[in-house]
Amino acid sequence: MVLKLVQELFKVGQATVPYPFQPVELAPGFRGKPEYNPEQCIACAACTIACPPNALSMETDLETGRRIWSIYYGQCIFCARCEEVCPTGAIKLGSDFELASFTREDLTVRAEFELAACSLCGVYFASAKQLNHVLALLDQAGLPPAEAADRRALLTACPECRRKIDLPRVKPLAQEAFNDRLQH
Amino acid sequence: MLETIEQTKSGYRYVAALREQFGRAVQDESWQAPDQVTLTVDLNTLPAIVSWLYYQQGGWLAVVAANDERPLNGNFALYYVLSVEGNGSEPAQNSDKCYMVVRGLVPPYQPEFPAVTPHVPAAVWYEREVRDMFGLQPVGIQDERRLVLPDDWPEDLYPLRKDTMDYRLRPEPTTENETYEFLDIGDEELVQIPLGPLHITSDEPGHFRLFVDGEHIVDADYRLFYVHRGMEKLAETRMNYDQVPFLADRICGICGYAHNVAYANSIERALDITIPERAHYIRTILLEVERLHSHLLNLGLACHFVGFDTGFMQLFRVREKAMQMAEVLTGTRKTYGMNLIGGVRRDILKDQRVQTLKWIAELRQEVTSLVSILLETPYIVQRTQNVGRLEPQVARDYSPVGPTLRGSGFDRDIRVIHPYSAYDRVPWTTSYKDGCDVLARTLVRAEEFFTSLSLVETCLETMPEGPILVEDFQYKPYRFALGYVEAPRGEDIHWSMLGDNQKLYRWRCRASSYNNWPPLRYMLRNNTISDAPLIVASIDPCYSCTERVTVVDVRKKKAQIIPYKEMERYCRERKDSPLKT
Repeated sequence: MVLKLVQELFKVGQATVPYPFQPVELAPGFRGKPEYNPEQCIACAACTIACPPNALSMETDLETGRRIWSIYYGQCIFCARCEEVCPTGAIKLGSDFELASFTREDLTVRAEFELAACSLCGVYFASAKQLNHVLALLDQAGLPPAEAADRRALLTACPECRRKIDLPRVKPLAQEAFNDRLQH
Repeated sequence: MLETIEQTKSGYRYVAALREQFGRAVQDESWQAPDQVTLTVDLNTLPAIVSWLYYQQGGWLAVVAANDERPLNGNFALYYVLSVEGNGSEPAQNSDKCYMVVRGLVPPYQPEFPAVTPHVPAAVWYEREVRDMFGLQPVGIQDERRLVLPDDWPEDLYPLRKDTMDYRLRPEPTTENETYEFLDIGDEELVQIPLGPLHITSDEPGHFRLFVDGEHIVDADYRLFYVHRGMEKLAETRMNYDQVPFLADRICGICGYAHNVAYANSIERALDITIPERAHYIRTILLEVERLHSHLLNLGLACHFVGFDTGFMQLFRVREKAMQMAEVLTGTRKTYGMNLIGGVRRDILKDQRVQTLKWIAELRQEVTSLVSILLETPYIVQRTQNVGRLEPQVARDYSPVGPTLRGSGFDRDIRVIHPYSAYDRVPWTTSYKDGCDVLARTLVRAEEFFTSLSLVETCLETMPEGPILVEDFQYKPYRFALGYVEAPRGEDIHWSMLGDNQKLYRWRCRASSYNNWPPLRYMLRNNTISDAPLIVASIDPCYSCTERVTVVDVRKKKAQIIPYKEMERYCRERKDSPLKT
């Protein structure tokens, strides 16, 4: 038995690698630090909603019209939900896993975005980049000009004003539905 | 017509028999799946029903979940989940096995219920936990001590009640000192040895007290839950139901993926989601990869604790292949974050398959030779044979799970009894041993390791093509169901109930070790102190280890604290007993 074991040991030789003096080989598709590209980001908040450990967060200041996106790597679990839900590919997992740091600040990345003001009342209501993104999509949709203009008016208004625009249009429909119900 | 439909359900026979026996007590019957039924029964008859199912119908206690349903129906509810597997009077078939959930309602104006523990000892931890977390008093349970809550927790604050507290709240400590009373076994002749608060093998907290006569263990008592993380409360209050898989992963550092699958299964069952075939196969492969590294870890630790460190090093060397397999297949060395409700997130492609198959072949050859070296080492067998015996009757009474149970002669594996994922689609066999000792449990693990290798191979070769995720399902409020997975150490059970706000109303997750702890006391009896760490390691417990041991000598009436390192050294060398100083 001892002989067998010794044979086995000689056969194997050295099994360890001299990390950190030599980089470790990572499997393709290894999930490491999420890399963020603020140019691509439209501050839509999809990632902050999906993030299970709340490593991603967003603060909106309606007074100054600013929105701050931030990631705290200390809380990240490298699950890639953010990458999965991001509509613009602004966040993607890289392969960096050596994140140790002496300060919390080193583990935080922030980006600041401007908010768009409502075309009617002037209240800040959505990320300006997100609104432009949606308007660009609208242009691409090839709707008849009248309908496109109509949608544009709705989209550039805050939820409150949108309701006010919509109400007169919905009213006759609602009345009709109500009458329908009375008859049956 | 209705009856014929009913009869296609696998638990129908038991429900009919139960209605015959306890007809009036059954108030409601609802099916969550063809093999999953919840019966609401009269609270006073509940212990009789549970004990009848347990001992007369071949039931095993899977989990007990309490739920604060006051906002829903005005009462607290208790769910006793039993896996009913037949009493052997009729030839047992898989179609005859089911999960029966016995539900009793406890009115808030009288927060107490008749305890099941005097009839079925397996319920003891569950009922003590219900008392701690919900403030419902189990009447008839002898052990009045807290199980989960710390000594300095306020008297009347029950964390899992819906109206109690925010999950971020940390109440002011009510006492400076440890007030927990360890068992007094009445014999003043015996010495007590405290072992803890960190466990010797897995470096996790738990406080043991060994009652010894010289070197001989007469009895044992232990206290755990030093690292209760409040995950159930966290999931219910802060997370969306589709984020919880990522939390379930983190219940355990070893069998995290098993918890993840168990949780996903429970929700998929509750919402009637059929997940794609390929996803079933991918889940099976990853579950088995997890078993590979878990079993190698335990085999390695077994070597370490009998002082055979070369074996430990070698097993850990080959274990690295299993870890890399996980890295290639999932992108992390732990199989984390792979599930969503409705399937899996990452497919297995050709390169990954080829690489995995290559490693499987290498692992099979290397572990075969290591295991044979291990078993040919005379003192391995000497140190483990007839040590830490778990008698079949104790096992029957306490419902332990996994290799701990299968080492005591029970061929009970959830993968066969209640097949999930792809376990009923590929051929494989279970392992069990009659030895009832540490050796038997270790051998079961060694055999299962090779079964897992074949399972991964077969699944990789036969998995069907197609989608891996479905997303067109709807969240339906207040649905609930069970999810279960045979993790490396035994079954993990999740009972989940959805709320009405994209969250969970209640999540009860039970890790396999929970069922293996209570019978440990019986395994420790009649052994020597130097075997204690080995016995504890043989159930491969999951708690967050024991830094030191207090030994109480019953004859000399003195207690002494032994540092962990010293206890570990003694277990390995068996020389210079620390008690002799």
